[in-house]
Amino acid sequence: MRTSTGLLAVFALGFVAMAGTTASAQSVVVDMKGPGAGNPFWAAVERGAMEKGKELGVEVTVLAPPTESDVAAQIAQIEDQLAKGVKGLVLAPTDPNALAPVVDEAIASKVPVVFVDTKGTNKGVTYIGTDNVAGAALAAKYICDNVPAGSEVALITGIVTQSTGKARADGGRSGLTGCGLKIVAEQTGEWDRAKGLAVMENIITGNPNIKAVFASNDNMALGATEALKSAGLLDKVMVVGFDANPDAAASILAGEMKASVAQNPANMGAIGVDSILKLAKGETLPAVIDTGTVLVTKENAEKFK
Amino acid sequence: MTASNDTATPAAEERPDWRHRLIPILDRYGILLVILLMCLVLYALQPEVFLTWRNVANVFKQTAVNSLLAIGMFLAILTAGIDLSVGSVLALGMMTLAVANAAGWPWPIVLLLGPVVGLAAGFVNGIGITKLRMPHPFIMTLGMLFMARGLANLISGGVPYTGLPDPVRFLGSAQIYLGDWGAERLNLPVALIVTVTVYLVFGVFLEHTVLGRRIYAIGGNPQAARVSGINVDRVLIVVYSLCGLMAGCAGLIQAGRTNSGFPNAGIGAELEAIAAVIIGGASFFGGRGTVLGVFGGVIVMGLISNGLNLNNVSVFWQQILIGFIIVFAVFLDVVRREVSTRK
Repeated sequence: MRTSTGLLAVFALGFVAMAGTTASAQSVVVDMKGPGAGNPFWAAVERGAMEKGKELGVEVTVLAPPTESDVAAQIAQIEDQLAKGVKGLVLAPTDPNALAPVVDEAIASKVPVVFVDTKGTNKGVTYIGTDNVAGAALAAKYICDNVPAGSEVALITGIVTQSTGKARADGGRSGLTGCGLKIVAEQTGEWDRAKGLAVMENIITGNPNIKAVFASNDNMALGATEALKSAGLLDKVMVVGFDANPDAAASILAGEMKASVAQNPANMGAIGVDSILKLAKGETLPAVIDTGTVLVTKENAEKFK
Repeated sequence: MTASNDTATPAAEERPDWRHRLIPILDRYGILLVILLMCLVLYALQPEVFLTWRNVANVFKQTAVNSLLAIGMFLAILTAGIDLSVGSVLALGMMTLAVANAAGWPWPIVLLLGPVVGLAAGFVNGIGITKLRMPHPFIMTLGMLFMARGLANLISGGVPYTGLPDPVRFLGSAQIYLGDWGAERLNLPVALIVTVTVYLVFGVFLEHTVLGRRIYAIGGNPQAARVSGINVDRVLIVVYSLCGLMAGCAGLIQAGRTNSGFPNAGIGAELEAIAAVIIGGASFFGGRGTVLGVFGGVIVMGLISNGLNLNNVSVFWQQILIGFIIVFAVFLDVVRREVSTRK
């Protein structure tokens, strides 16, 4: 007897604690890769979605699995929300392939779906996120404007078998060569700070005359900065990264890295919610919606710290 | 004085008897009562949604993987052991079959690869625990946790593989259309049929075969089991092989459900399986627990997740609640032991 009454008390406690948050079936569900708590990126997506919901007078429910690797939890969340009959789904898939079947289930149930941040594999579903080619081009333009014409430069790429890695490498490459700079080295740092450092050490050994390096993310850019610092070359070689993470912002303010590129996660949440309402009204959306990128330099880095 | 003593004594003896009769019943069926009560609470909170066929089917779809992992884990825990590697072995089975499929292997082989790889990993665990004389299964299976995860990443290059043929997906994702009930389409998930079949087979195996009874005996008292002529090593190898086999089957189900093999599959799944076994009333000291209890434990965890999802509660609450229930369930086990030794 004690088993059941005790356990019942626990459940009652848990469920009463949350009964106040019960949402109606008419809410737009935003399911992010990870919780906003502890990650400023997802916190911004959440904020953007909630504010847009308030502005348009529609209920928005933001969910996330406990960690970005918990694919099964995200699938279960979506199934449960579909059973409830929601108005629409804004999804940042933890794994585009594994989430594809449940997205198909949503579409079959006539629930409108859009992807934010990470493109899914389902055909005909709009993707709302950063145009990484355009963002990398922004970084390349900054380098073009700030080094002598025809200078030697280097590219440190992410993992180019991933779409983000490829887009940033492509955008950077065509931007740099487009304004007449010479790319003398292009190597992958696999998004990793330590690898970025090692790659940069090799690049400066072989190419002592380079004037700038564009790394596809800030971790590798910070690694490259370390390599240049210990080689005493930081004043001769300009480092530009991507993501504008807090470490990079601090580095830019300290005058070490020169620039980075910021995404606009709040826009992903806001445009995501807005797009669901448009789909619900029967409007059609473009296949890709760019949420925009901004160049971050010493002038505006304070905001990203 | 004498008279009151006379009347008091039989009453005092009756009480423990009454308790002793109740405890085994609660041990066996208490979990069903808990599930019933949870269902009532959830129904009260979401009357339009909770008892819809679609939602109930969701609970079974979502618990299928943990069901398979938990029944394997239950065998290990019955022998007072543990298998920490099941989440990684799930991933290894899943990635192996996905990679083989991408390489163009015929589907019957792809289908079998998951379970076979799981069985092999479990067998290695069993050999390590017995023949390499590891001091505790914790060590061997912790090693396997890393090795299987690393191997899964190695063969796949750490990237997901997507697109499996329908026969491979059948067990994990297919639904059998039973007919309409009002406005609802009644679709029976095949994964539920798999789960129920597996549990029935294990129920018979553990209760009614010599080997099954030996598994209980080893957990209850390994020394006595050895003295009475049971080949403990051989039984343990069978136990860990079966546990691995179940993890491989879970990999097949997960692959079918997601139509892919992805590197992050099964991270932390071993802990959920252990939690289900413990909530289901199995003793961590070995030798005690039932298949029905384990199934109940899995469903309790599934209902918590489903209930909190339906009510849009943060997943953090889910973690807190499950943690609390684990501690509570073990506390009950402690109390139960005290009551039964007091007599």
